[in-house]
Amino acid sequence: MKFECTVEDLGKAVSTAVRFVERRANLPVLASILIVAERGGLILRATNLECGVEINVPAKVSSEGVVAVAGATLAGFLGNVKGKTISGELAGEVLKLQSERATASIKTLPHEDFPTLPRVAASTSFTVKAGDFMKAVRSVVYCASTSTVKPELQSVLLFADGGKLIAAATDSFRLAEKAVTLRAGSTIPQLLLPARNAAELMRILESASGDVEVYYNENQISTHIGGTYYTSRLIDGAFPNYRQILPKSFTTEAVILREDMASALKSLTVFADKFSQVSLSIEPSKKTLLLSSRNPDVGEQTSTVRATVSGDAVAMNFNGKYLGDSLQAIVGESVRIYSNGAGKPLLMRDAADDSFLYLAMPMNR
Amino acid sequence: MTTTKELWENALVELELSISRPNFNTWFKDTHVIRVEDGVAYLGVPSQFSRDWLSTKFHKDILRSLRGLSETIRNVEYVISRSPKKTSEEVHAPSAPSELPLEAVHAKTNLNPRFTFNSFIVGPFNELAHAAAQAVIRKPGIAYNPLLIYGPTGLGKTHLIQAIGNHFRVNAPERKVQYLTSEKFAMDYVASIQAGKAQWFKEKYRQYDLLIMDDVQFLAKMEKIKEEFFHLFNYLHDSNKQLVFSSDQHPNMIQNLEDRLKSRFNAGMIVSVTPPDHESRLAIVRTKAAAHNFILPDEVLDYLATAIEGNVRELEGALNTLLIHFEMRGKPLTLPDVKMLLRDAGSPKKAVSVQEVVKLISNFYGIDEASIYEKTRRKEVVRPRQVIMYILREDFHISFPTIGEKMGGRDHTTVIHSCEKVRNDIQNDSILSGEVHQIRLMLK
Repeated sequence: MKFECTVEDLGKAVSTAVRFVERRANLPVLASILIVAERGGLILRATNLECGVEINVPAKVSSEGVVAVAGATLAGFLGNVKGKTISGELAGEVLKLQSERATASIKTLPHEDFPTLPRVAASTSFTVKAGDFMKAVRSVVYCASTSTVKPELQSVLLFADGGKLIAAATDSFRLAEKAVTLRAGSTIPQLLLPARNAAELMRILESASGDVEVYYNENQISTHIGGTYYTSRLIDGAFPNYRQILPKSFTTEAVILREDMASALKSLTVFADKFSQVSLSIEPSKKTLLLSSRNPDVGEQTSTVRATVSGDAVAMNFNGKYLGDSLQAIVGESVRIYSNGAGKPLLMRDAADDSFLYLAMPMNR
Repeated sequence: MTTTKELWENALVELELSISRPNFNTWFKDTHVIRVEDGVAYLGVPSQFSRDWLSTKFHKDILRSLRGLSETIRNVEYVISRSPKKTSEEVHAPSAPSELPLEAVHAKTNLNPRFTFNSFIVGPFNELAHAAAQAVIRKPGIAYNPLLIYGPTGLGKTHLIQAIGNHFRVNAPERKVQYLTSEKFAMDYVASIQAGKAQWFKEKYRQYDLLIMDDVQFLAKMEKIKEEFFHLFNYLHDSNKQLVFSSDQHPNMIQNLEDRLKSRFNAGMIVSVTPPDHESRLAIVRTKAAAHNFILPDEVLDYLATAIEGNVRELEGALNTLLIHFEMRGKPLTLPDVKMLLRDAGSPKKAVSVQEVVKLISNFYGIDEASIYEKTRRKEVVRPRQVIMYILREDFHISFPTIGEKMGGRDHTTVIHSCEKVRNDIQNDSILSGEVHQIRLMLK
């Protein structure tokens, strides 16, 4: 096996692939990246058996071959190597990499045990702009549960509704939903993408432009983005029917500047107690929204945010982090806040954009 | 015949030897045989990753080892199906925000849908309990929290508390309702401790909006569980979640129940249900009969309500007996029929008094009833007296001292001795055992 390619191409591919590597696997070969040198280029493959990736790297291959090398080692070397081109050659059980300024010999692993990636038939698919898909997933993924008690909540829900791709996630304390336009494929069943696999997907989507076609079956989802093939298993389960708990009418409505809210919440975290409790009160008479936090060991702070308010006065406590999280998905200038009084979930939306909604439960005390 | 589970376990033992350990652990960890059908073994695997890899890489090994165990297997198919996985524990901050009411849609409430308010008959004996239950429905968590309904067995406590749950299940599905018995609670606790998942147990029970627990009196005996219950109680009560309990006694009367629990029960509403009066019994019999589309003459209904006192469950049982006979015979039941049928079905224990037993047995042995109570040791009196004591003890479960007292002020040790003597003699003395058998038949 012998190949030659640019440091940049290989480095980028390896840095993507290494995220899929399973470091604590039972099977040592899963900690490695498989490099297949074929006529036409290199194929890098990595998987942790939850999700997997295959990346084509343009290369001049003078002798074909397959090799598996420890992902961390390879990434560590390529991340810091200087030079423009790099060549690789298998010598016995060692892969020799050589750039203009550095050389490395990396021990290889037996590659026979490296698994293949599942392929999904192209019969069921949907098409969406790469940027939109990433936005949809990014807007909700932080809400997914980290607890393994309910696997269906450790996921990002994807489905189609009225020509839109809807992404939703919840950990049962807060919930986010984002809708983006679908380019093709208007019927998508509920697909539960594991939240931790979504991070890798977003990274790949980041580098893409234009439309991506996403294939799915009941167990697996996959997509081709440029020279990269991504696949992830889907979670088998039923996502709660969250739409029926979305409040339809409200007793209080407030509009505030996103920036005001973000900076107020940021400074409040300094004073928040260990549960990051923040009290929020909306005062229609003063046209303000009051945010405060207090920690007996540190002190307390109150921030007044000017707001347009209609409806009743209301005061509730929230986990400040939950309130702040929503702002990362709200890109418009102002935020619309809806409430139905104490003890009821608080709904937040981008004032200028109806495609995103965020629901947070208040704290008990 | 080996089950598919054993088949696969045996196959795995073989496979483990021929495949390297890391490979085996990675690929065969969550596999199971779903079924074997027409010579094809359907192998459940956790994901498409495993399906693809097992079928390309290990198919031959799997097939060979399965064939070695069962010659009928010709092929192996791979199906993606997750074997029910154990959930692991998690820890939440104690003052975490309340949850979005998501789960109610699928929640298993454990309620029997048969128990509804529509099928609940309200009479003077239970109207207070019923009214309290209605108040709970109107203002859950606020009106009467906790609500505790107590009373003897078979008076509809379970029906009433489940009806509350069913009402919420139907009319407010966003609320998480759970019904369980205190025994189930205890078993769950023990199981969670055994599995090292105590935290998970806490989580599970703290998520409910309405917790209904039947027969809480049994908790009194279990120290650790009582404590767990206490914490659960506090948590749910503090978050204004409705709690509904039933018990066979007033909590203040339950032995071994701590004062802190007693006072918490007392903080809410405690109502009793008493045995129904005659009119209520009549209404119950009518409703239950109507529910089965079972038409009975008024005199029969009246007889049922008169003959079977106290317990609604027995009333229902009697009605079911009649229903079966009616269906078997295919012709309407008359009052004499009913009397016949219920004489067999009814238990003798309630209807017979000590005097009657004494009278019957002394008649049986042809001696004077009064001599039983006398302090005589004549042989012809001693034996019947011992048999009386034995029957009173064995069949009527009357305490030794009480029997002694009724038998003319005898010491309880005398009674114990008599009972033991008869019990032993019956083994060897066929005449005596015949006599006792005869007496028992007459008592029915």
